[in-house]
Amino acid sequence: MKQQSGKLGIREFVSIAVLMVGSKATEDTPAILYSQAQNASWMIPFISAGIFFIPLYLLIKTMSVYDEKDLFSVIKIILGKYIGFLVCLIIFIMSSYAVSFDTRTYTNIIRAFYFTTTPTLIVYALLILICAYGAKKGLQHIGSVSYLIVFYGVLSLYIALLLGTQNANINSMFPIWGPGPLALVKEGSQKLTLFADFFLLTMLVPYLTSKKAFKRGTWLAYFYVTFQISIAILTYVCMFDEGLAGIAYPFHTVIRFISLGQYIPNVEIIFFIIWIMAAFIRFTAFLYINAMMFGHLFKIKDFEYLIPSLATLYLMIGMIPEAPINVSLVFKPLIVSTAGPFFAVISFVLWLVALLKGEFKHAKNKDII
Amino acid sequence: MQKTKTLFKLWLFCVMVCLLSGCWDREELEDKSYVIGLGLDHSKEKDKIKVTMLLANPEVGSMQGGGGSTEKPREIITFDANDFIAAKATANSVISRNISYELLRIFVVSEEFARDPMFPTTFDEVLKDKEIRLNSYIAVSKEKASQYFLKNKPRMETRPHKYFQFMVDHGIENGLIPDSNLFRYFNTIERGSDLFLAMYTTAKRQKNPEIKREDEYTAGELNATGELDDTQFIGSAVFKNGVMFDTLTGQETRTINILDDTTNIKDILVNMPDPFSDKKRQFAARIMKTENNKVKMNLKGITPKIFINIPLQIEIMSNPSMVDFSKEKNQQILKKSIADHIAKVNEDLLKKTQTKFKGIPYPLPLYSKKYFATIQEYKKFNWAKAYPRADIKVKVDITIVDYGNRTKKAKRLGG
Repeated sequence: MKQQSGKLGIREFVSIAVLMVGSKATEDTPAILYSQAQNASWMIPFISAGIFFIPLYLLIKTMSVYDEKDLFSVIKIILGKYIGFLVCLIIFIMSSYAVSFDTRTYTNIIRAFYFTTTPTLIVYALLILICAYGAKKGLQHIGSVSYLIVFYGVLSLYIALLLGTQNANINSMFPIWGPGPLALVKEGSQKLTLFADFFLLTMLVPYLTSKKAFKRGTWLAYFYVTFQISIAILTYVCMFDEGLAGIAYPFHTVIRFISLGQYIPNVEIIFFIIWIMAAFIRFTAFLYINAMMFGHLFKIKDFEYLIPSLATLYLMIGMIPEAPINVSLVFKPLIVSTAGPFFAVISFVLWLVALLKGEFKHAKNKDII
Repeated sequence: MQKTKTLFKLWLFCVMVCLLSGCWDREELEDKSYVIGLGLDHSKEKDKIKVTMLLANPEVGSMQGGGGSTEKPREIITFDANDFIAAKATANSVISRNISYELLRIFVVSEEFARDPMFPTTFDEVLKDKEIRLNSYIAVSKEKASQYFLKNKPRMETRPHKYFQFMVDHGIENGLIPDSNLFRYFNTIERGSDLFLAMYTTAKRQKNPEIKREDEYTAGELNATGELDDTQFIGSAVFKNGVMFDTLTGQETRTINILDDTTNIKDILVNMPDPFSDKKRQFAARIMKTENNKVKMNLKGITPKIFINIPLQIEIMSNPSMVDFSKEKNQQILKKSIADHIAKVNEDLLKKTQTKFKGIPYPLPLYSKKYFATIQEYKKFNWAKAYPRADIKVKVDITIVDYGNRTKKAKRLGG
């Protein structure tokens, strides 16, 4: 059995990746993209994926030189003890910042659509509590649960979108270039953070069954997720047309609008349950990776004990913004505009230094011997 | 040890069950009063509106078989308020239960209020409320909305939510009223390039309405007598930038519904002039729309050219001049006459919208989007200005799927 070996197979890894990145189609990301690229915003995931492909490819290539080493170990080996530590610390802080405000975004969604009178703190605390519990269970559990859920998550997303297309008009996707091809490329290059999670997922390398599983899993999830986010945004654009500009959380507006025929008109709760389970997994995995980073930074071996305290810390940071609007307009843009490019630069620098140091040649020689 | 562990787990389970009910968003069906229809009127006070709530009694009709309660199926209250969101709280001084908009199906706005330029700003609050769904409908009533709800007394469907749902759904299927949900209303405002049609309704029958063709009425003009409710849903109110400014008859609404691919009309029954009759007789036919229209445009030059191709399937239901349709020649005559008739009706209506309304009654500009490369070019084209001078050609593709039961020529009796 896989559980005994304590490693993740390719399917678990892909499930985690799909849930972590793919769920971006169901929160406020489409609205943010739409505000910049209007009806051509469905192209942004493709453009961003195309640009982020290069650093991610270089990173995976660099990492494949070192067997069974995670991202932080590789950074420390390549950049040295001190610079390596600094870079790792920055990555950890960024990722912590992201997880704090992403969880807050989800709390906002839950409060806005489903539990309107419950205090934010209660909803938030429950969300964090469940994620912390899940993360404490360990990576194997996260992997198997996400493999269990991923089908329902993806299926329910497509069913919702399919029901939405009944009210959609394909003509809304035109004019094909939206605000102009140049503006699109510019926007796409600024939205690299869409795929920043793949950078963080390289922390899980030592826990995978094989190097090949990691490589193939990453690319599989990468291309699939690009496709999924793009399809989702395209459906929103075709449904809401220019009205999408005023909608903060399109997915939830869609599931409130659609109905299963005349007799089952209000179906959002079915989709909500599956969505919230996917959200739990997303943040559980996120929390686990962050704890792992922290453990790595400060040489704490049993980092799983850190999870509850880290989770509490994130809860406290996430509670700083007063209203949902502050989260999506003040706090989130900061990380969205910096994380992706920063991670891309780090990947590039790692590859360059490794190349100059001649690590790739060493590896080749080792293979021959 | 094993025992304590199991006990602990069981205890945890019980604690979890307590969590399930929740604390803040707990809702009891008994405690709720659902607003099905919301009426909006001018108030005598300035800057205020008159809100009318039609509340359904969930107990009535829910009982299987006999029994049930003797309570009335609905309650109606009207009062002045600043807006209809805070009005929920005000209404609680009259209604014992907690008022909820979750099952709100229809907004009825009086024509007088809908024509007020202030209407869109008041109505915009709909988007702010978290309970109102975008698939609720908006209708314009000829009289005051408060009177409309009072006068509307359905005989068969006494439960208001069913009544409005059926009335609206079947009206849309027949094409006599537009599919005017909030979603479309706000989308149209956002686009700004076309007009919005809202269903037109009244609960007051006109005194002596003239008799017209089967679908040329607007609300209140149909002279139906007997034991019935006076409410009529037919025709549409035309909105420009969120403010009403004109009306369309049932027939015109139906024509636009056929032009507009985004509405779900099913099969509709109509009368059409009989080409074989010299006495201006009409025959009945069933029109089915199974395919989408094909729209082609040539937007270069000063007069934009628009070609609309409408594919329709037709079933002949009556044959007043007893023509033998087994003959190929007769079939051709009939086909051509129907195609010409429908094309003419469409072109006349579009001409009317060009000259009288100076606006497009359905999202036609959507089809033009693919002719532009970027949004800037599309915006520059400015549909609102270009439409009145556009040259529109309508072509109808007719497939007659059935000529009726009788193939043989029947014996001609009388006229």
